[in-house]
Amino acid sequence: MTDSSRKLIEDPHFKLLSFLISSARGCVDEPELYGSLRLIDAASRLIDVMEEEGLVNEDLLKLRDLIREKMDLIMYDETGFIEFLERASLELAKIVKRVEK
Amino acid sequence: MDLPDRAATVFEVIKGRRSIRDFDAKEIPDEHLRIILEAGIWAPSGSNMQPWEFILIKDRELLERIKLFSPGLFGKPVAMVIICINRKISERAGKLGDLMPVMDISMAAENMMLMAYALGIGSCPVVSFNKAALRELLNIPSHIDPMLIVTLGYPKEMPKPPRRRPLEEVVHVDGF
Repeated sequence: MTDSSRKLIEDPHFKLLSFLISSARGCVDEPELYGSLRLIDAASRLIDVMEEEGLVNEDLLKLRDLIREKMDLIMYDETGFIEFLERASLELAKIVKRVEK
Repeated sequence: MDLPDRAATVFEVIKGRRSIRDFDAKEIPDEHLRIILEAGIWAPSGSNMQPWEFILIKDRELLERIKLFSPGLFGKPVAMVIICINRKISERAGKLGDLMPVMDISMAAENMMLMAYALGIGSCPVVSFNKAALRELLNIPSHIDPMLIVTLGYPKEMPKPPRRRPLEEVVHVDGF
């Protein structure tokens, strides 16, 4: 494998790309709610990438912490998982609202 | 209830095992990996067909590559066993050949995970991975069907046990 190919597959964007494509295929067979799980997991991974690139603030890191902490709810508390998705959306809206027009 | 020593040990292992998704980077000794795999081959199987094949992955780079195609795989395990069905063997089970080997490899996987736990090693069964990608990456022949990944590594922490449906709810004595 060439150095550039190796660099490519180790690149965090490529890792996220692989996750998205594999998830797209996986969601065909998985439980319905797993589509939401994969998307919110991808959001957390995207914040990881943004962090590496210096594009995050404290609020966004807190949102990632929330995702990491609550994502597992899908396995034992479906209602709680959906409430968490609602809360994550709300937290994101607060981040946007705080930005001055 | 007081249990005889052997039963108490087995029950402790069964109840203590958790699905681990956050692993330490410490390597697992080869002899422990071997005994985990050996626990797998001692599982029962329909007609004693033993339709399983186990692909052990230890290479760090390969582990990372498999992770790329496994959305259900969390953390950084230091090893994994890909449990496959050998369709040339399972087809001998006739119409049961689709279902029975799935039960067989599930029992093999549980044996492995219990042995891992008894050795202080965490594990997690993963079904959410892309079979086509795995076939390509690992040169898996067409009659070998990768079904389940068991990740392995020393746990960073032990999660709390999730709720179990109580016996009263799931057990039906002398009829449903």
